[in-house]
Formats: sequence, structure tokens, C-alpha cells
Amino acid sequence: MEWIILGVLGFWLVASALGAVFVRNPVHSILFFLSSVIAISALFLSLGAELLAGLQLIIYAVAIVVFYVLVITTIPWEKVKRFEGIYKRELALSLPVLLVSLLAMGYMVYKGGLAEPVNLVKDNVRDLGKTLFTSYLFPFEVASVILLVAMIGAILLGRKEE
Amino acid sequence: MPIEKAYIILSIALFLIGLLGVIIRKNLITVLVSTEIMLNGVNLSLVAVDSWLGKVDGQVFSLFVITVAAAEVAVGLGLVVAIFRLKGYEGSSELTHLRD
Repeated sequence: MEWIILGVLGFWLVASALGAVFVRNPVHSILFFLSSVIAISALFLSLGAELLAGLQLIIYAVAIVVFYVLVITTIPWEKVKRFEGIYKRELALSLPVLLVSLLAMGYMVYKGGLAEPVNLVKDNVRDLGKTLFTSYLFPFEVASVILLVAMIGAILLGRKEE
Repeated sequence: MPIEKAYIILSIALFLIGLLGVIIRKNLITVLVSTEIMLNGVNLSLVAVDSWLGKVDGQVFSLFVITVAAAEVAVGLGLVVAIFRLKGYEGSSELTHLRD
């Protein structure tokens, strides 16, 4: 049963990611990206990470995708038309390299061993919160500073020059 | 083969698809979308290994990756809009001022 879920969701995920990379129109590319975000959230649910599935939907599917669409609406559309699509020569050069590296890394993962399981998590959200606010308290505060700096930077970059 | 290995292979494939998008796309906004796909692949592998080990540290890291992704989108899209306002184009092949 797990393998069927993984097969369906994995096919959906890879198909929508390939669509996001190869489709011409930027808005269609962002819609394909939204589809892949929903597939990843379903994969998180099937892996037992409920909190991250919810956060993935809230942050990616709502905040980031809406932000991309808003930025695209502010850019004049006829000037974007010149830069649609993909570079053909770079595609022909990079696709074999990436395929070979995918095969090599997949073979290594398939043949290699995994570490031994330590313990089983009963309540995902409770354990995650406890770990986040005890062992990882300092990185959590640093992440809040990163968000503040990014907000100030975005305001400074988006301001009109006078 | 445990199912987590299949998840890890899937996440490697997702990361390489995103890398392909960063290499071949012409539009700067879709280059940023491909970067998001790469970050999602990293998140997927972290959560898969976490589910195998039965711990929550990978999910905490995945939370930080989502935070950095949000910050990166804010600053990156601000840069794209600033480039477009200054120069009037946004193709990745015409941004060669540092090279020339």
C-alpha cells in the first residue's frame, strides 16, 4: 500500500516538476510548481510529518506562489515575451551529465546502507515542538533574525529611487 | 529495500530537475522557481531519513530550510524587479555587466 501511494505521488511530483521546468509561459510554470508543492505535502503526510505538511501548504502554496504571481503581474508582459522558453544548447549539454549523476547517486543509495533506527516518534507535533524549543532554540532565533533582514532588504530593493 | 531509499532517490531526482531548470531557463523568475524545486527536494530527503530514524531533528532542519526559502524568494524577487526597472530586461543571458 505504501508503495502504491509513493508511486502515484512520485509520478505526480516528477511530472509537475518537469512541467515547471519545461513549459514556456512563466505563469503556467508557477502553476506546475503549485501542483508539485501539493504533491510534496501529500508525501510528507504519508511519511508521518504532519506539521511540515501543513507548513508546506501554508508557506509555499499560499505565501510564495501568491508572491510570484503578484510580481509577474507588475512586470510589463510584452517585454517578458522575448525571454520565454529554454536554451537549447545548454539543454543538450547538461541533460546527459545530470542523467548520469542521477543514475550514479541512485545506484549508491540503492546499494548503500542506512543508519540504524533509534527510537519511534509517537506524537509528531509535540516532539517537534519540544526539540525545536530546547535543542534548536538558538538556530530558531537566528532564523527570526534572517527573516527580519530579508524583510528590510526586500523593502530597500523594491523602493523607488527618488 | 526499505521504502525510505525510494524516497531518497525521488528527492535526488527532484533536486536534479531543479538544477536543470536553473541551467536552461531564460527567464529570471522561472530560474527562481527552479531554485524552489531544488529546496523542496532537499526537504523531502530530510523528512524521509527522519522517518527512517524515528527522530525529529531532520524535520527541524526542514523547517529552517522553508524559512530560508521564504527569505530567498523575498530578496530574489526584489532583485529581479530592481533589475527590470533599471535595465528593462530580465533574460539571464543579458546580465553580463560584471563579465564585460
